Amino acid sequence: MTAVTTPVGSARRGVLGDVTARSMLRRGAIGGLTVVFIAAIGMFETFDARKVIDPIVSLGYASIVWVPIMFGYLVSKRQELEGIEAPPPGASNVVSGGAVGAIVGFIVGLFLLIADAVHLRDIFLNISPEMRETLGFGQEPLMGAMLLVLAGAALGALGGTLHLLPERLRGPLRSALVALVLFNFAELVIGNILRELGAGAVDRLIYRPSRGLSMPAAAIVAVGAFLAKILMSGRVRAARDKVVGQSESAKRRTALIGGVLLVAIGALMPSLFGTYLNEILSNVGLFILLGLGLNVVVGYAGLLDLGYVAFFAVGAYTTAVVTSPLSPSFSPELAFFEALPWVLGMAAVAGLVIGTPVIRMRGDYLAIVTLGFGEIARIALQSDWLANLFGAAQGIIRISPLGPGQGAGIRVSYGYVLAAVGIVLLVIGFLRWRDSQRDVAPLDGVPSYTARSSLLLMGAGALAAVLGMLFPTFLTWTINGIDPPAMFRIVLVFAVLAGFVTWRLQESRVGRAWVAVREDEQIAQAMGINIVTTKLLAFVIGAMLASFGGALFAVKLGTIFPHSFQIIQSIIILVIVIVGGMGSLRGVAIGAVVLIGVLGGPTQPGLLREFAEFKLLLYGVILIWMMLQRPEGLWPSARRARELHAEETLQDVWLKDVDGEAEEVKP
Amino acid sequence: MTAAILDVRALTKRFGGLNALSGVDLTVNSGEIVSVIGPNGAGKTTFFNIISGMFHPDQGEILFRGDDIAGMTPDQVTKLGVARTFQNVRLFPNMTVLENVMVAQHCRTRQGMLSALLRSPGFLREEAEIEDRAREVLSFFGTRLAGYRHDQPAFVLSYANRRRLEIARAMATQPELLLLDEPTAGMNPRETRELTELIGELRDERGFTIVVIEHDMRVVRDVSDRVAVLDHGIKIAEGSYDEVSSDDGVIEAYLGRPAATGEAAS
Repeated sequence: MTAVTTPVGSARRGVLGDVTARSMLRRGAIGGLTVVFIAAIGMFETFDARKVIDPIVSLGYASIVWVPIMFGYLVSKRQELEGIEAPPPGASNVVSGGAVGAIVGFIVGLFLLIADAVHLRDIFLNISPEMRETLGFGQEPLMGAMLLVLAGAALGALGGTLHLLPERLRGPLRSALVALVLFNFAELVIGNILRELGAGAVDRLIYRPSRGLSMPAAAIVAVGAFLAKILMSGRVRAARDKVVGQSESAKRRTALIGGVLLVAIGALMPSLFGTYLNEILSNVGLFILLGLGLNVVVGYAGLLDLGYVAFFAVGAYTTAVVTSPLSPSFSPELAFFEALPWVLGMAAVAGLVIGTPVIRMRGDYLAIVTLGFGEIARIALQSDWLANLFGAAQGIIRISPLGPGQGAGIRVSYGYVLAAVGIVLLVIGFLRWRDSQRDVAPLDGVPSYTARSSLLLMGAGALAAVLGMLFPTFLTWTINGIDPPAMFRIVLVFAVLAGFVTWRLQESRVGRAWVAVREDEQIAQAMGINIVTTKLLAFVIGAMLASFGGALFAVKLGTIFPHSFQIIQSIIILVIVIVGGMGSLRGVAIGAVVLIGVLGGPTQPGLLREFAEFKLLLYGVILIWMMLQRPEGLWPSARRARELHAEETLQDVWLKDVDGEAEEVKP
Repeated sequence: MTAAILDVRALTKRFGGLNALSGVDLTVNSGEIVSVIGPNGAGKTTFFNIISGMFHPDQGEILFRGDDIAGMTPDQVTKLGVARTFQNVRLFPNMTVLENVMVAQHCRTRQGMLSALLRSPGFLREEAEIEDRAREVLSFFGTRLAGYRHDQPAFVLSYANRRRLEIARAMATQPELLLLDEPTAGMNPRETRELTELIGELRDERGFTIVVIEHDMRVVRDVSDRVAVLDHGIKIAEGSYDEVSSDDGVIEAYLGRPAATGEAAS
């Protein structure tokens, strides 16, 4: 290969355009090593069993084919600079892409030959003869290597060719690809819904037994998405602009309606799903709950807490101790809801105990100390010293039994629910009544209540409370811990409550104080904010939400061991918050759905069962990619997005200022 | 001395071997504007840091309306009615202009978490009041921080606007005593003139007592009732601008000792 070192922007353009040999070599090498890595860790072979499009594309091939295509595409991709005309794409894109692809193929072929000559399997268990055969297209190693170079070149050239396509084709092509991927990921979901609706035949038409799309289904999905994109793109943009252009209050209403709709769908979902999917859903719900709590601590108050699992453990163990008849020494054998005040109380105490000493530290120091506390919690639970309270390594079994000889569960008495609602109404009514008695001028945007309506509300609340207390069990709902749909529903209730609480707090003076402390602790204090109580409050609320999660977790499993509260739990919850978007409620929900739902939790399965072994690897890849490409998270809060895109914000503001200045001058 | 709002007595602060302040006395009467001037490193900002509770003094008393506030934390001092701005503007950069001013009212508001959760009438009223007061405070700066600027993050503001927002934020804590640390630093002459007038208005219309650290002598002349001069942590002069500006010790501190005779100046 001749080194063509034409500088960017120069008029001289050979067959490679302005792509240098160096950049081709670099991308080719990175691509080749990526493929070798995917093959050597066994991903390729494990995924090969699952088809994407039956029978032509397996997930194994899909997991490596993207590499030459992407690198072939990237090598001749130019950074778009405003005001500089990019040279029109041409043959150089295809040639350079092909060259990169060939390098990728060459490296993989080399790997194949080396693996054939040297016995690598002692170190890399996954370089099996079968894998090598699949990778080499079932040919002899040398032949396979040569085929790999050719295939790589073809795929790389394909990637380069993408530049030649006009944007109006590239967009639809992208959506066709995305649709194929989504349909594959959602195989369980779609199949499940179809079967539950009694349309199993349709399911069998779409998905083959290998769990891949059938050829006709794949064609329909791809063409459908392609056409939909062409036909709908204008309308989607118009709808989005309409939402973005709304006033603040209208936006808020849209968000509220969206939230209610989502919860309603969430409540309906379990009936459409089978056991496995409901298991995934309840895990997602649990991690949303935990993520919301950590979001208060990390996202709002900016306290990097790496020992969050300790509070989760406090919730789980408190529930276990007070509900299990077999808890070693202290065993009041309470029901789940009777245990909740204990759980809350213990969590608050734990939040204060851990929070008080660490609250004076900042940033990295805080992270390290909380990391230590997280481990201390687990080791204390495991220790023989506390064995007669927590059962050490044996853990605690028979948590919250529904009855003698029955498994773990929760019994919801609607009477008490009614009573709780009544008490809330009573309090609201009282506050309104007190306000109506006050002699103050009405303010804009503040409703004023009459004493009469407030007293009526109080009366209704009192009535509900009394009735609920008198007939606590007029209606009950028994949730068995091993019944995923029911567990999901109760987890959803708690998650919605947690979301509500954090949202309301965030929009109050406490929430503002948290943000101020996160921004600049010293100045927040100088502006009259008591930073110790503000930070402790964040810690305690985070701890309480985590403890709810722990309580539900304990009931779900019926048995808990110290082993369930590893440091990795803290990390995963943190990753959910970061990937979703720190300080954003919807972000936490999205993060949990994507990570826990699709990939699976630390010990929980996800939609893509094939990924189980490589879960942590993928977590890492996602995290790194996010930090590079989208540090604000998948669905960030406006503040966070602004913060991490300061330059763009400044530019927008500058443009606006030019208009603003013009307006100011006019009168 | 019935009207003394701030009475600092024999304030001393050492950083290692450096005497940042040694035995500084200063009395500020209610409704006064007092300037604190002095060469770089004279201890002016340390003086502010101690009054506002960010540092604790080694010796001395700080009486604010008769209460000794030495040793209190900054939030307690702010709650009692002392607010300050910072030499190197320190806003909450990612909060909007309005939020910056709203959050400063934290210590003047009291609605708790329960009423926030239930959106009680008291909570809603207080939130509305906080926002109204924030807008009112920002309107003090005329069109500078008006309209669409309310919803901009603080980090996009121009330098002069950041200074204004800092003053607005300090005003929002509803203080009696306002400590302004070089409010006109980095402003152009027109902006400086504008702010000089505003400092006067802060006292005349809003009723704040003001202590201001300033390097621009025209500003000092135009705003101050009294001027105190610090040098190497010692108060070397105090009096009206004219008295202080003709004081030999002050001139020496700023310009150095005359070469031959002691009578070169004035």
